[in-house]
Amino acid sequence: MSPRAAKQGSLIPAKAGIGLRFQHHQAVIDTKPRVAWMEVHTENYMGGGTPLRYLEAIRRDVPISLHGVGLSLGSAEGLDQAHLERVRQVAERIEPGLVSEHIAWSVVGGTYLADLLPLPMTEEALAIVCRHVDQMQSCLKRRILVENPSTYLAFRHSTIPEWEFITAVAERTGCGILCDVNNIFVSARNHGWDASAYLAALPPAAIGEIHLAGHAVRPLPDGTILRIDDHGSRVIEEVWTLYRQALARFGPVPTLIEWDNDIPPLGVLLEEAARAGALMTDAKRETTHADAA
Amino acid sequence: MPTLLELQQAMRRSLVLHDNEAASALVADGIPPDRLDIYRNTIVTGLTKALRLSFPVVQRLVGTDFFNGAAERFIAAHPPREAYLDRYGGEFPEFLRDFPPATSLAYLADVARLEWAINGALHAPDAGPLDLAALAAVDSEDQSHISFVAHPAVRLLRADYPVDRMWRAVLAGDDEALTSLDINAGPVHLLVERRATGIEVVPLDAPAWRFLADLCAGRSLQSALDRAVGLDAPAVLAEHLATGRFTAFVLAASEPAPALRAALA
Repeated sequence: MSPRAAKQGSLIPAKAGIGLRFQHHQAVIDTKPRVAWMEVHTENYMGGGTPLRYLEAIRRDVPISLHGVGLSLGSAEGLDQAHLERVRQVAERIEPGLVSEHIAWSVVGGTYLADLLPLPMTEEALAIVCRHVDQMQSCLKRRILVENPSTYLAFRHSTIPEWEFITAVAERTGCGILCDVNNIFVSARNHGWDASAYLAALPPAAIGEIHLAGHAVRPLPDGTILRIDDHGSRVIEEVWTLYRQALARFGPVPTLIEWDNDIPPLGVLLEEAARAGALMTDAKRETTHADAA
Repeated sequence: MPTLLELQQAMRRSLVLHDNEAASALVADGIPPDRLDIYRNTIVTGLTKALRLSFPVVQRLVGTDFFNGAAERFIAAHPPREAYLDRYGGEFPEFLRDFPPATSLAYLADVARLEWAINGALHAPDAGPLDLAALAAVDSEDQSHISFVAHPAVRLLRADYPVDRMWRAVLAGDDEALTSLDINAGPVHLLVERRATGIEVVPLDAPAWRFLADLCAGRSLQSALDRAVGLDAPAVLAEHLATGRFTAFVLAASEPAPALRAALA
């Protein structure tokens, strides 16, 4: 399926952006920071009133991307049509440059388990996710991006490596991939995968966006260390290194700094975005040199 | 091999009901089943945060530890049914009313009801005001059969305790106002609405509250007027229209309504 483009606002440039949270609404309006684009969680703008007014004001100056966290593309029982309709309405109103969701699930038996839960990597789950990506793309009349999750456990009966699973979703549905470099790092460490090999297995043409964030490192009683994707700190050096590899492979891609816990002043997010932007400029220069040589 | 649905049902039993048995059997070798706790903690922390955002005054009245404990019990008994968390917590006031550790705080559930009304007003969809010119153009014989459609952000609440004053005092951090408050001062009739400047909680007298409640419930203007005793109904109606508390009107059948003409004059 290749959905025709819906009405889009300003396109998201291959530059660095920041995740916009309520705490920074006023600061963004007041200071008009020089940042190429911003991303919000779709679920935070499903009502009317103040949040939507801020977002509508901000989107006049900055391209906006919508990142969903609640549609549960991996639900065995099907998509919540009411939720999909709410997503469609937000998209219609905000005219985002990009729309994304996750390779995860959170709804079963009419209960919303408020987290991005891991899927078994099976043919059955793959078929279900693809069906729901098709539904979402048809409903929104546009291509979406799906994000690789960070996971803390794996299932006994999984048969497909995660990088093959997400690549297959992109191939079968025509959707793009939101490559969360921090999630690759977190999951690779938690499961003993090779993060660079994961990156190398993704199809460059499908990569529509990159996410970067900080994560927590938790020592467990059994002596092992678990990495938890809490978006509560700066991007760590190893993840910046992995990001450089991603840029070398994918070329410049819109890159987002996400921060959701212990949210710092806006300036800290802008510093992180500036660092991502500088790395993108370096990567572009290196690519140009390589082309010239 | 379990189906995806079986796996998701097992995960739900683990994450909501703390029954790890079925889910543990699905986890790959070498991964301790207590990894399920990581997800459960994220869910409870996230939902507790959502409840704290909707019920900040309840939280300040009972303290963080009490609130977190109540939230955890509430989440287990009433997990969200949809991913639209702005609407999560509607059963929390009733839960608090029946929550044994809170029985000494008789007003707590009413404070929670006020906060839930405020939360509803805060997140209600946008809607334009009623078309006053169209309303004025209604034939006089049809006017009594007008009924109004309330703005989605309008909430009406009757409470046994002066929860509006408690709410204001707690938000302002005004301990003196809070301690000097007579909680047995009698019931309050409140209008909660969203204005350009933010949420307003307006105490009304009982007849004005009932008149507005009748109109918001879709009762015909004539019928609401018949019940409105001790009230300058035209003036009150004019204010409701001017402040955009109604977004539309519908006509049912006939009889003149002098009050509407007076309100529009």
